Amino acid sequence: MPDSENEGPRPPSGVRRRDVLKAAVAPVLAGATWAVKGGETVMNSRPLMTVRITAAPPQKLGTVPHGTRTVVPVTGGDFEGPRLRGKILPGGGDWLLLRSDDVLELDLRITLETDDQALVYMTFQGLRHGPPDAIAALGRGEVVDPARYYFRTLPRFETSTEKYAFLNRIVAVGVGEARPDGAVHRIDEIL
Amino acid sequence: MTSRLLMTLQVVVPPPQKLGAVPQGTRVIAPITGGTFEGPRLRGKVLPGGGDWTLLRSDGVLELDLRITLETDDGASIGMSSFGIRHGPPEVLAALARGESVDPARYYFRTAPRFETSAPPYAFLNRLIAIASGDRRPGGPIYTIEEIL
Repeated sequence: MPDSENEGPRPPSGVRRRDVLKAAVAPVLAGATWAVKGGETVMNSRPLMTVRITAAPPQKLGTVPHGTRTVVPVTGGDFEGPRLRGKILPGGGDWLLLRSDDVLELDLRITLETDDQALVYMTFQGLRHGPPDAIAALGRGEVVDPARYYFRTLPRFETSTEKYAFLNRIVAVGVGEARPDGAVHRIDEIL
Repeated sequence: MTSRLLMTLQVVVPPPQKLGAVPQGTRVIAPITGGTFEGPRLRGKVLPGGGDWTLLRSDGVLELDLRITLETDDGASIGMSSFGIRHGPPEVLAALARGESVDPARYYFRTAPRFETSAPPYAFLNRLIAIASGDRRPGGPIYTIEEIL
């Protein structure tokens, strides 16, 4: 994670190296398909697409039982990747919830239209958090280096078209960047 | 995609409850009676009482919907839920159905776990996105869970 405040507790200084090693080796024993080397994992993934979302001014609903709710209507945008490209149809949105622990939960639903007229329903749930000054700058509509905050999503897709049916069968992860005019998500397919 | 190991989780699954054809597909509920997890920052056991509500879709993809409670070795409770996908060549899925051990590289079994806890030492779990690679074993699956950095 980018900022130290978000790091999990370091193993207490006596963390037995043996345990760490054991944990690092376990995936190999489990037959996982990802390579683990020296505690770092090479998760196999490949770029799926970059999604650029344009949004209308947010609807600030204020304090609700689960936190602070803001609804962001999506007015359009585009997406492009090696296997698909096209535009985002207006009408979706992102139902944001700022939790009591200052983590922003994202809950997006949009419809993509490929350049060959296939419709793809896309949703994601995600998290955004970071140091107070970075989050405050984003709140003021400023440009902030995305490495300064954590903005990750789990996109899911539905389509009836055979050409894009592979989208129905994948797990994906998005790395988000909040920009003044909308959000940009670089989405990887997990292999 | 940059990640680091969060934990390896093994759950114990007794014979599943086969509900058969429901409107959304073929529903099989796998109760989870226990298990263990271990990683660099946490370790402990899986409490009995959870399960995996699996749905075989019409396109041959198995959707997983798991909910369990983890208990760390220092007594913290962690709620875990995950959505996942499993699919592969018919002969591989047939071998899994017969309870055989199959190289997990031969099928796609990925999940996205989410965690919630009130225990401060583990609050980092509330703030991360994770991806797991699954290995379906006869006694229950083993998940290698990675934190997405």
